[in-house]
Amino acid sequence: MNIQDIRNMFPALSQTVYGKPLVYFDNAATSQRLESVVRRMDRLSLGTNANIHRAVHKLATEATEEYESTRDAVRDFLNAGSREEIVFTSGTTASINLVAYSFGETFVHEGDEIIVSEEEHHSNIVPWQLLCERKGAILKVLGIDDEGHLKVDDLKALITSRTKLACIAHVSNVLGIVNPVKEIVNICHSASCPVLVDGAQGIVHQRVDVRDLDCDFYAFSGHKMYAATGTGVLYGKKEWLDRMVPFMGGGEMIETVKFSGTTYAPLPGKFEAGTQNINAIPTLKDAIAFMGLLEDKELQAEMKEVEQFLTRELSLVYGVPRGTEKKIPLYSFVVKGAHHEDLALILDKMGIAVRSGQMCAEPLMDRFGVTGMVRVSIAPYNTLQEAEYFIKSLDKAVSMLV
Amino acid sequence: MKTLEEAKQAVIDDFSMYDEWLDKYEYLIELGKNLEEYPEESKTEDKLIKGCQSRVWLDSKVEDGKIWFKADSDAIITKGIISLLISVYSGRDPKEIAEDDFGFISQIGLKENLSPTRANGLVSMIARIKELAAEMVKVEDTKSNGQEVLTAEDAAELAPLYDNVVLAIKQVYDPEIPVNVYDLGLIYELVINKKHEAYIKMTFTAPTCPMADEVLAEVKKSVADVPGITGCEVELTFEPPWDQSMLSDEARVELGLDLND
Repeated sequence: MNIQDIRNMFPALSQTVYGKPLVYFDNAATSQRLESVVRRMDRLSLGTNANIHRAVHKLATEATEEYESTRDAVRDFLNAGSREEIVFTSGTTASINLVAYSFGETFVHEGDEIIVSEEEHHSNIVPWQLLCERKGAILKVLGIDDEGHLKVDDLKALITSRTKLACIAHVSNVLGIVNPVKEIVNICHSASCPVLVDGAQGIVHQRVDVRDLDCDFYAFSGHKMYAATGTGVLYGKKEWLDRMVPFMGGGEMIETVKFSGTTYAPLPGKFEAGTQNINAIPTLKDAIAFMGLLEDKELQAEMKEVEQFLTRELSLVYGVPRGTEKKIPLYSFVVKGAHHEDLALILDKMGIAVRSGQMCAEPLMDRFGVTGMVRVSIAPYNTLQEAEYFIKSLDKAVSMLV
Repeated sequence: MKTLEEAKQAVIDDFSMYDEWLDKYEYLIELGKNLEEYPEESKTEDKLIKGCQSRVWLDSKVEDGKIWFKADSDAIITKGIISLLISVYSGRDPKEIAEDDFGFISQIGLKENLSPTRANGLVSMIARIKELAAEMVKVEDTKSNGQEVLTAEDAAELAPLYDNVVLAIKQVYDPEIPVNVYDLGLIYELVINKKHEAYIKMTFTAPTCPMADEVLAEVKKSVADVPGITGCEVELTFEPPWDQSMLSDEARVELGLDLND
């Protein structure tokens, strides 16, 4: 298996923009869709379209089977203890908000504390700010050093008996550094503080074993790992999910409804109120199958080559990335004298899609004293040729501006 | 000065010389670099139009019924587009700007730079230009309605309104001096038209007053709340600059100043 084989699975990659072949380097925002994902959505929308769990007819049975077998696939993919610990959501943001509400309503009271880190995506900051406002709780921030590493040593002192939850990104969407989540979980657990891991970027580039990490919650999106948009997962330890109050009320999440009082469905139904994204959630199966293909040795060697090329070229000229020891192939950088937006606009006209701006991490931008950065994030379908073309184009763009 | 249409056509002609996108950008970068300097001291929070991408500062002034713009950005391509916008729109009749559709931007192929999804400062800058122009039109309308010919009956009807509006203005105090803005002499003009809309031209003791917006809003609200008043426009001016001779006798007493000072 090689990169070209992988490319062939993604129809969107063969298009041109402004008459130039598309070079898609904005994978951390969203990846391209697998053809198998699009086909499955098509098939489910056009054929097996029925609401799940309730009706007895043939289509409903098939649709339910598609949906529930996805839960098994995700459980297996994450090595979760049981399928009840897998809750489907619309994405990472929805997963985190679910915990912020349900965990918050159940366990967080006035004067309690929540910990987030300085490098979090807004999605892992704002839900906790809202919770703290609602409850009169306190948001504490774990800092990062000048290289962008979490100050894990400070964590122990940050946790008190009032700390109810620590919420940390597996991989920062700006820095790309893989955080030592296992160590963080250890430290937190030794102080009886559970941990939520924002896995939006983390799930894409490595095998995640939630039992090995021992985290209490793990949230991620399907759309960044080649599945359909509007699909997401919340993994939660059963001991927590069982005790948490429901997030949304509605159909599917109940056992019996009486005006004298309603009882809730067992897990995971309790957290899946209303009709779910039934034609899209099953595409997670295709994404998971695809992730399996990426373990091919020959392919990995080729991917490594692209990554090493970019790391080398970008660090030579632009002094990025910082701390390279354990990173995903994601590079955020600032070019002196050239604004990130200008660079992105010019690269766009050369057919290259990169991200510029604050990357939904304003506190992190403030930390490094910049108004924004350019971010390049590659996927297994990006070739060495594309990387070379990108570096050449970047040089040209910089020379136009500086 | 060229007419608005001529100014637009000139920009369209300039752009038609470039086929290649990179050449168009080169041209915009050049324009950006040559944009008239924007004063550092005007890079204040209230003039900043924030976006996720580039930041834009926009300042405007009104002179002889025309509205003039100055702007800046930290991104050079945006600055180039600002230069185009200024060359087309600055120094125009606000009415002309308020009625313009800014469609020429897409005619020169810059539409994607203006797509709202870009979340850059440019879209908001155009919105702000239109907003400022529209505000100006409204102020002018109210003012000119105030210059209408009044019959004796109209005047009799308006007289008590003037008294009440003055009382309302006297409810608003300078944030630093314990005297209301009327007795301080900050009100330069007060006109009420036949539609019972009030037009007020006022100043501040110093152009740097940090509470200026709050005070203007307070005057506007206080006057608009007067029974019988149907609307209120407040215009800020620093011409002529305020000085102590504008204080009323009441204010002088309040501040312990000599009445003949």
